[in-house]
Parts: sequence; C-alpha cells; structure tokens
Amino acid sequence: MIKSIDILNYLSENNFELSTGVPCSYFKELLIELDKSADIQYIAATREDEAVGIACGYYLGKKNCFLIMQNSGLATIGDAFTSLAQLYEIPLLIFVSYRGLEPDKTFPEHVIMGNVTESVLEAYGIPYWNLKGENWRKILDKALERMKEDSSVVCILVEKEVII
Amino acid sequence: MRGEEVIAFLKEFISDDSLIVSSNGNVSRQAYNFLPQPQVYLRGSMGLPMSIGLGLALAQPEKQILVITGDGNFLMGLSSMTTIGNYKPANLKIIILDNAIYATTGGQETVSPTVDYLKLLEGLGIQHYGSLNSIKSPSKLLEAFEILLSSKQTAVLHINIEEDIENLENIPWQPKEIKNRFMKNI
Repeated sequence: MIKSIDILNYLSENNFELSTGVPCSYFKELLIELDKSADIQYIAATREDEAVGIACGYYLGKKNCFLIMQNSGLATIGDAFTSLAQLYEIPLLIFVSYRGLEPDKTFPEHVIMGNVTESVLEAYGIPYWNLKGENWRKILDKALERMKEDSSVVCILVEKEVII
Repeated sequence: MRGEEVIAFLKEFISDDSLIVSSNGNVSRQAYNFLPQPQVYLRGSMGLPMSIGLGLALAQPEKQILVITGDGNFLMGLSSMTTIGNYKPANLKIIILDNAIYATTGGQETVSPTVDYLKLLEGLGIQHYGSLNSIKSPSKLLEAFEILLSSKQTAVLHINIEEDIENLENIPWQPKEIKNRFMKNI
C-alpha cells in the first residue's frame, strides 16, 4: 500500500504542478490529499477526454500535469489520445484505476472494461505498468523515463487499495 | 461576414503576448493563413479546443490565451465550458464562429441555432460575454474584439458568420512540428 501523500510528494519532486481527471473511489484518499496540496492544483474535469485536453494545453504551456481516471474513461478517451496527445507527441502520465477485477465482482458495470483494459491500452499502443506497494517509486521512475524518452502517453494501472 | 474575414480582422489584436488555440478543420487553417504564426493548430480532437485553452491559460498566466472554435466543436465540448465557468482563468478568451454547419465535412447542419448563447454563457457563470448576430460593419466587430480582449475576466464572444466560400488547404506542418514551433516561441 502506498500513502497518497508520498505519491504526491514524488510527483511534485518530478515537477508536476497540476492534475486533472474524473474521480474513482479507488482514488478517494489521493483526491483528498490533492485537495489539501499546496504544490499541485487539481482541476475537476467533467469528462476524461476533457482532462486530456487540459493536460495537453498545460504541457504546450511548458508545464506538467498528470491525470486521474477510472478505466471506464479509457473508452471515452480514444480520440483525445489518437488525434491529440499521441498525434502531437505530448507526454502524459495517467493513473487509471483497474476496476472489474476480483474485488469488483459485485459491480457488473466494471467487469467488461476490466476484462479488456490491458488490450485497450495495447491497441492504443500505450505502455502501462501495474502499480504495486513495493518498489512503487521504481515503477513510476520507469514510467516517467519512458514518457520523457518517447514523448508519449503512459498509464499506471492502480488496483483496489494500492493507494491509500 | 465569413469566418475567414472575421479571423483576418482579428490580426491587429494579436501581439507576442497572445497564444491562440484554433479548432480542427477550417478554423485552424484560417488561423494558420491569416494570423501570426506559430499557434496551436488542432488537426483532430474535436470538442477539446476549450479544454486545451484552459490548460494553456493555467500554465501561462501572463499570456492572453485565445481559443477560436467553430460551433460544432464548441457544442461537442460543451461540458468543458462548465469547468471553465468554475475555474474562470482571467486570461482565457473564447471566440465561437457560428456558421451553424459542419463546414469541413460538407456543410451538414449543426443544432447550434437552437442555442441561446447569451443565456447559456450567463448560466455558466461567465460574466463577460457577447454575441454578434449579424455583422453589418467591421467597426462593430472591431469593437467587440476590443471588449473581449481587454476584459480582465474569462470572456466569450459568439459570432454568427456566413458560410465560407471554399475550404482552405491543409496546414503543411506536421503535428509534431506545430507543437515544437509553438513551444519554442513561448
């Protein structure tokens, strides 16, 4: 398990000054910490593709923004990836909650997306990492390195109670 | 007045402190052809120019961010206007060029004529807004630009325009080149 404040400190040290997205209950604590943060502002977007637009605009203004969303957002977001972020080669770090796995077995609305989440990311050509409590900094280091090297979108999949 | 004429009249208001986000299709082509370069010329991401403008406005608070969008694009991204209405960056200005059609794809009608833009903008909590239903003389347009761009708050100008006569050629710069040139120029 990773403390929300530790992740935010890590992101702040890596020059992220803004965040945006659409909430998921898996990120409840992270969003509470963001609300308190003096270093990273959070912009509550109405849709996940809008959040990609905000983050891309912020990057074009030479600053870094990370995104937070549920994996359902990956279905909403396709054109924002393919005809904006990926087309213009804009680096983006996206935290995506991995809904639809075992803990969500009583939430049928998440199951289909849960089954195809990794295939969807592979189809978009987006590299992804599954966040773990141990060595989480190394996982994020790798993702950020890839994001900067390729100037690309990278996703961090977050299962239930990994971030507290 | 046609969209390209309106955009050409905007030229004298654009300084080094202005950054423009232009929506995909004819609008970005007109911005490329008639306004100082480089700017953000969108090739796709229909519906997102306002949110890109919001991000840019937050990153560059000292610059004037001007989003130029068609009505189809604006309506697709309508929910992003609620976010803008909430955060209201003072340096964000939006011009909606409303020809009530999807011009680039063959002139199919949009539902824009059903929208009362002044009431909509008022309802979004955006205090500085205006609408030009018909532009009979350039002086009215220039006055509206002056009010929009000198506003100290988030401001939106909606303009009913006539259909352009022809679609311009595609922008020759590749998207990556658009990004690089734009960022280098800030």
